[in-house]
Amino acid sequence: MPTIRVVLPTHLKTLSRVSGEVVLELDGVVTQRTVLDALEAKYPMLCGTIRDHVTKKRRAFIRFYACEQDFSNESPDAPLPEAVVNGSEPYLVVGAMAGG
Amino acid sequence: MEGQQKLKAAKVLLVGAGGLGSPLALYLAAAGVGTIGIVDFDVVDFSNLQRQVLHTTADVGRRKIDSAATHLRALNPEIEIQTYETRITSANAMELIRPYDIVIDGTDNFPTRYLVNDACVLLGKPNIYGSIYRFEGQASVFAPPLGPCYRCLFAEPPPPGMVPSCAEGGVLGILPGVIGCIQATETIKLILGNGTPLIGRLLLYDALEMKFRQIKISRNPDCPLCGDSPTITGLIDYEQFCGIRGEESPAVSESAQEEVSVSELKAKMDRRDDFDILDVRNPEEWRICRIEEAILIPLGELAARLNELDPAREILVHCKSGARSAKAVELLRASGFASARNVKGGILAWAEEIDPSIPTY
Ligand SMILES: [Zn+2]
Repeated sequence: MPTIRVVLPTHLKTLSRVSGEVVLELDGVVTQRTVLDALEAKYPMLCGTIRDHVTKKRRAFIRFYACEQDFSNESPDAPLPEAVVNGSEPYLVVGAMAGG
Repeated sequence: MEGQQKLKAAKVLLVGAGGLGSPLALYLAAAGVGTIGIVDFDVVDFSNLQRQVLHTTADVGRRKIDSAATHLRALNPEIEIQTYETRITSANAMELIRPYDIVIDGTDNFPTRYLVNDACVLLGKPNIYGSIYRFEGQASVFAPPLGPCYRCLFAEPPPPGMVPSCAEGGVLGILPGVIGCIQATETIKLILGNGTPLIGRLLLYDALEMKFRQIKISRNPDCPLCGDSPTITGLIDYEQFCGIRGEESPAVSESAQEEVSVSELKAKMDRRDDFDILDVRNPEEWRICRIEEAILIPLGELAARLNELDPAREILVHCKSGARSAKAVELLRASGFASARNVKGGILAWAEEIDPSIPTY
C-alpha cells in the first residue's frame, strides 16, 4: 500500500494540528485527487481550505508541487510521479503568504 | 572594479523597511548600490526590533525611513538614500517606481504585494519577491516575459485573516534575515548580470525542518496581467481586490444562509441545540457585556486559534454589531467550518431584543 508524504503550509499545519509532514496510506492509483481526498478524510478541517468545498477545484491561493514540478494545473486524475508514490519525494501544498 | 561601477550606477527601490527590508537595505548599502529608495510610512515600535535589525532601541518612535536613512548613511556615506514617507498606493506607485531599475517587495500584506507586482509588470521592472510567515519563507524574481509574475503564481489572495500577518501570527525573528538576504543576493546578481537569477523558480524555506526546496513556476498565458491577452492594463483598487473592508462597516450579507437572527439564536439556546457561540470581540468589550455561553476568540487571533474550535459542530459567531463576525464567518467557512453563521446585529441586537439587562457600549 503506497505511503504518501504530504507537506502542508504553516497555516494548514496549525489548522490540522500537525507538525512536520503528513503521512497517508493509500490503496489504488495515486493521483492528486486520491491524495487530497485521503488528506481531507484524515483531517476534515482541511475541507474547503485547499480545494473548493463543492467543485473540488484548487483554490487560487494554493499550488501543488512534486519533484520540483508544478502540478497545479495538471488533471487531478493523472497519476503522480513514482517518487511520490514510493514516498521518496513529498507532495507539496504551497500557500500564498504575505508577511514581511 | 567594473562590477563596483555597475553597483554604483544601480537604482533600487525598496518597498517596506520592516523585517525583509532591514537586512536588504543594510547589505545593499554595504555592497555600494548607488541609489537606494525606501518607501515606508510606519514608525519604529519596540515589537519590531526582534526582526527589523535596521532599527535600534534608540529609534523607537522615529519614522522608519528616518531611522533607515541614519543607519544606512552611517554604514556607507558614499551612496544616495532617497526616502518616501508614504503608503504606496495605486495613485503613486507608478511615479515611485518609474525612476528605479529594480524593485524589491518587502511589504507585509496582500493588497500591497499585488499592487507592487502589477506596477512592476506594467513598467517592465524586475520585482524581487520575498515573503514570510511564522517559520516559512518564499522568494522568487518576477520578470515577465522571462518568467511568471505574482499573479501567475497566486491568481487571488486568501480571504482576509486566513493567513495572518507577522504582526498577528508571529514570526521567527531570523526568518526575514534569511529571506531578505536571498532577495539582496538576487538584486546584486541582476545588477551585475551574473549567475542564474531566481526567475521561473520559487524558493521555499522551512526553518523548522531547515530545508530549502525549489520548484519551477511558469508564466500563465492566461494571466490577466502578463498573459497573452491581458485584461489588467492599469492599477486597480487592491483593498477591494483583496476583500478588505472597514472595521465596522456594515456587514456584507453574502447569503441569508450564513446569517442567523438573535431571536433564532435565543430559540436554539432554549431548545438546547448542540452548537457553539463564538464571540470575536476584544477582551475589553467582553468584560462590558457578553452572552455567557460564548467562547471568546478575538478576530485578530482567530486564524491562529482555529484549532480550539471543532469544524464538525455548528458555530454561531457574533461581535458588537455584526461586521467583524461576518469576516470571522468568511474565514471560518474558507477554513473548513462549513456550518459557521453570523449572528445578525451582534450583541447590540441581543441587548435590544433579548436581554435588555446587559450593559451596552
Ligand atoms: Zn502573470
